[in-house]
Amino acid sequence: MAGAIIENMSTKKLVIVGVTLLLFQALAFMVGGLIAPSPTTSVNYMATKCVDASKHREDTKWFMPWGPNLCDKIRSFDEAMAKRIEANNIVFAVHIPMQNMEMSPWFQFMLVILQFDIAFKMHNQIEEGAVVTVDVGLAYRDDMFSEWKEMVHSVEQRKLHCNLSLPKTYENEGRYYDCDHLPFMELGSVAHKYYLLNIRLPVNERKKVNVGIGEIKDIRLISIHQNGGFTKVWFAMKTFLTPSILIIMIWYWRRITLMTRPPVLLEKVIFALGISMTFINMPVEWFSVGFNWTWMLLFGDIRQGIFYSMLLSFWIIFCGEHLMDQTERNRFSVYWKQVGPIVFGSFCLFIFDMCERGVQLTNPFYSIWASDVGTELAMSFIIVAGICACLYFLFLCFMVFQVFRNISGKRTSLPAMSKARRLHYEGLIFRFKFLMLVTLLCAAMTVIFFIISQVNEGHWHWGDHTVQVSSAFFTGIYGMWNLYVFAIMFLYAPSHKRYGDEQSSGQCITGDAGANSGEDIQLTTTITHVDGPTEIYKMSGKEAQE
Amino acid sequence: MDNGPVLRRRTGAGTVRHVLLAAVFFVCSSQLLAVEANSWWSLGLTPIQRPEMYIIGAQPLCSQLPGLSQSQRKLCQLYQDHMTYIGDGAKTGIKECQYQFRQRRWNCSTVDNTSVFGRVMHIGSREAAFTYAISAAGVVNAISRACREGELSTCGCSRAVRPRELPRDWLWGGCGDNVHYGYRFAREFVDAREREKNYPRGSREHARTLMNLHNNEAGRQAVYKLADVSCKCHGVSGSCSLKTCWFQLADFRRVGEFLKEKYDSAAAMRIGRKGKLELIDKRFNNPTAEDMVYIDSSPDYCLRNETTGSLGTHGRLCNKTSEGMDGCELMCCGRGYDQFKTYKHERCHCKFHWCCYVKCKRCTSLVDQFVCK
Repeated sequence: MAGAIIENMSTKKLVIVGVTLLLFQALAFMVGGLIAPSPTTSVNYMATKCVDASKHREDTKWFMPWGPNLCDKIRSFDEAMAKRIEANNIVFAVHIPMQNMEMSPWFQFMLVILQFDIAFKMHNQIEEGAVVTVDVGLAYRDDMFSEWKEMVHSVEQRKLHCNLSLPKTYENEGRYYDCDHLPFMELGSVAHKYYLLNIRLPVNERKKVNVGIGEIKDIRLISIHQNGGFTKVWFAMKTFLTPSILIIMIWYWRRITLMTRPPVLLEKVIFALGISMTFINMPVEWFSVGFNWTWMLLFGDIRQGIFYSMLLSFWIIFCGEHLMDQTERNRFSVYWKQVGPIVFGSFCLFIFDMCERGVQLTNPFYSIWASDVGTELAMSFIIVAGICACLYFLFLCFMVFQVFRNISGKRTSLPAMSKARRLHYEGLIFRFKFLMLVTLLCAAMTVIFFIISQVNEGHWHWGDHTVQVSSAFFTGIYGMWNLYVFAIMFLYAPSHKRYGDEQSSGQCITGDAGANSGEDIQLTTTITHVDGPTEIYKMSGKEAQE
Repeated sequence: MDNGPVLRRRTGAGTVRHVLLAAVFFVCSSQLLAVEANSWWSLGLTPIQRPEMYIIGAQPLCSQLPGLSQSQRKLCQLYQDHMTYIGDGAKTGIKECQYQFRQRRWNCSTVDNTSVFGRVMHIGSREAAFTYAISAAGVVNAISRACREGELSTCGCSRAVRPRELPRDWLWGGCGDNVHYGYRFAREFVDAREREKNYPRGSREHARTLMNLHNNEAGRQAVYKLADVSCKCHGVSGSCSLKTCWFQLADFRRVGEFLKEKYDSAAAMRIGRKGKLELIDKRFNNPTAEDMVYIDSSPDYCLRNETTGSLGTHGRLCNKTSEGMDGCELMCCGRGYDQFKTYKHERCHCKFHWCCYVKCKRCTSLVDQFVCK
């Protein structure tokens, strides 16, 4: 048994591996940028004002904004005023999607945002802290001619946050308030072709329901869904990545089990990282196309959470195991201080997600941000998670700093060694640093691309091609972390190369004591673990002379 | 050929019978309509019946509509359901024009139902520039709005309007941008009548065509430029890793204000040797697509003039204390004003529901009013 592949591989081969990975990386970006459309699309809807003439409300009656069975509609509320129609008889109807289109399960999710157009009137201003009570029903059907089937019916409250950027004078009557958009609905799967929303704003003066909300002129809805094209590209990518990560993972574990010693902590963590990567890669979303699984969105969030907390833990442990200090490591319990914040932070986010998306499984109109208590709760979860993230990064930065300080400390003793040996050690340090840099590069790339896709809306034109920046971001970053995990599993797998009688085991230059047989040059004098082979990097003289 | 309105004016303007007669006359002869400038604006004055009425007999609507040019009529036949909204757009445009110019000598008043603004529009003045721009803007606004209401069958991923970007739209990517659709359709429709004319390069009429095209574009650009972008973050736990943005039309009043600014800074142009418009004063910067251009100086709007089509300011209300354009001094062009008292009725102490329930008291006050001689 020898050290890890990263130490024993020749530079030439390492370069070849690196270039291949880079090519795949470029491919991942290109798949998103050139093939896939933008990840999401928003569609604007303006609610049609229908008149419900019936005296008693029938829950089975649905109002269609257009088409053959269209409702009795009014163009503006002046018309309603003239016809003496009351607020309680007005139904806002929105048909999703537009005419001549149909929704598809490929859209994966749909969320709807609500916006009110409220005109400023001197005598009818929006009161402080006004709350709108919305009585909303959602129905679906799969062909143009069947009856609408009710999906949910709910009464929701949303707080209005509106302000007028102009002075409140008679001159500005009729101008619209600037209102924040309100979260309205979130569907975890788009299993049906047509959806119909019927919204009412019932007025009850005695109970102060919908009083003092100003003069509502229109209701606008914005629906956001994932593009089918993007979903297809995304699924294809996952389907391709799953076996590649799975194969390298099996290969890696086989190598570990072939060794005579039990696997060390770092090897286990790498394996766990592989498992969580495979878990997130598994294209179970294919089922969402055929089945109406609303929990897929939540499940996706959980998988993503598991992977990221695994990745963060891996970095801590990776650094910790390379920390050339005197403390005994190789035990998971050593890292509780650093891994604790990760676990706690992701747990907070999990709870938050369950509160929002979990409840939405039963009531798609639920929003944690709608109520004051909910907002505070949600904010506190997010803040706690943010604090955990900060703590984590402080720990990580400190550990990376320590590792580099120790390495440079060791470096000072390098000139005392023979040339061949020194070169080898320098190579090892270089390769270790290289991997640290790659990690840093990956993180930087994620951040940079994130910023680009945020700042730069939409797409770039590049000759005749349009490059979808945000799609490239998603596929590129996803591909990058896959390649990263792939590379780690490959480079940190135990090498097959044999070096004479004395074998090195463990990985990388973790341990530092060199109990050498050939030349008695020790890099450091840190302790050698009793259970031997793990953290000591032994090197045969033979190899050193190569 | 375009002496129709003039003729009518001489025989006594404003009587309903004559207007009707003229309307019939115009409908009968589409050739004449093609020559009569700007009359698609009349869609904003004559209410168009809802397109549902015309679903069975598709033809009548387009041939009955006054004021369409040959190619606009073709577009009308292709996009029947759009016509109501073009009418709405023209109406909002005209209304906004009247609001913005309520305190000016020329107050954007409509003269009759066919030529709409009368002969003033034959002069390629700043005012004409503004009118073209605001009505084009009105159409973009109205079409985009109708698109959002789901009233237009071709809106969304229409093959006809946006063929070039279609391959990228697999399963809906990039559809639903209704502002873009409104812009594209308004360009097709509003510019159609200018494009079908074939005047010799460098002629006056050619210059006017170029001016109209430029101002139409300026109006459409204004809507596009003023549309806000709103975004929503919806990644894991509401993070911004997934963000979707959309265009949101600005209040049309803001478009009017913006175009009014452009009116004030409009560029005087003349037709150049190459058959393109060029600045009269070369020291200024060339106008961009958002700027307005004009080729003639404005006529005198103080006095009524049959030849220019100016209505004069006789009988206009003015503000005695103001020193601006709405002040009696400037508005009445020094002719003086009459003063009289009127009762002003206002609604006060109202109780509202969000839509259609209002209970008000009526408050009356006595106010002074001034009218130009």
